[in-house]
Amino acid sequence: MAVLTIGIFSSLVGSMTPDFMFKLSEAALEKGHKVNIWVSGNAVSLIKNHQKHLKDYSTGEKPLAALIQKGVEVCTCEACTLARGIQKPDAVEGVQWNAMHWYLAKVHGSDRVLHMGGE
Amino acid sequence: MADIKLAFLIQRPPYKSENPKLGLTHAISYQTVEILLEDGETVTPTVCVVGEGVLGCVKDQKAMELYGITSTEMHVKSCLLVDLDVLVCKEDLARFGISEDMMPDAEDMGADKTIQVVPYAEIQKVIENANHVLFF
Amino acid sequence: MKLAVFVSDFKLDVDTLDRLKADKLGIILVQNGVYHATLKENGAASSLLKKSATFYALKDDIETRGLGSAAVDGSVKTVSYGDIVDLIFNDYDKIAWL
Repeated sequence: MAVLTIGIFSSLVGSMTPDFMFKLSEAALEKGHKVNIWVSGNAVSLIKNHQKHLKDYSTGEKPLAALIQKGVEVCTCEACTLARGIQKPDAVEGVQWNAMHWYLAKVHGSDRVLHMGGE
Repeated sequence: MADIKLAFLIQRPPYKSENPKLGLTHAISYQTVEILLEDGETVTPTVCVVGEGVLGCVKDQKAMELYGITSTEMHVKSCLLVDLDVLVCKEDLARFGISEDMMPDAEDMGADKTIQVVPYAEIQKVIENANHVLFF
Repeated sequence: MKLAVFVSDFKLDVDTLDRLKADKLGIILVQNGVYHATLKENGAASSLLKKSATFYALKDDIETRGLGSAAVDGSVKTVSYGDIVDLIFNDYDKIAWL
């Protein structure tokens, strides 16, 4: 088993990068790897609970909760998240909150890092 | 491995995108990462500014006065203050007409480090020597 | 250095990719990056495909855009998400996302 840490910075709606990230994470899990996900910048909209899945828009809540159920560690950037008005009770259950050093610490223990910057 | 080397590539211009700022602040967070690591484990970021990212390396930015947000200049200076190596691509500075005297230093904050203007070949070496590469 | 680069846009607004050098370079076309593998703008294949690299394109993202394997340039291998996982762990030691 190897470890993949993903940093995701793109918004849930208006970018399909989180959709890519969910599918890649699933594929990595299926192959027996461990996955960590750091959520930062505009990607923090991923962790909001009570998302309504309108078919015109990507949704983050269900796939994120499913990954957490399967043992993926997901952590949101506290500053980025609070800056966007999302409080801890508003988050998908199981999402961790921490500062940017969480990402660097996970990177330290990872075999591969996929840092998905961009908007 | 005790020390993990990270190459932070800042490639986007400042302000419209949050990414260049996040690149700098994530690099700065190496200062406190030890609380989450085992003894002897370290993370060493090197900040490399390339392409339009060099547009953020101009002094006298007035983002705080005009928009009430921390300037990219301030984040660059904070990188220097926490002893990060900040390498800026010489060719890209020349391409955009930015001379070294237009760039900030953090002497007023008490930093020992200064921005290092280097040919792209030096940045390629940083990428090659890094364990992981992060493009912002 | 064995470097895999994800290209997720068709029109890149940065020239980072042109500069990156690696002993072994893999370019994985995803999202709108798959157009590099499928479009012939004014009859010509994408200049990206002239790079000295091994090219891959994500099948899901090709099909999402109404394209099929017949549209994919012969120099590009079509891959699944699972294939990408194997590539990044087995064939390359660093990954970049552009």
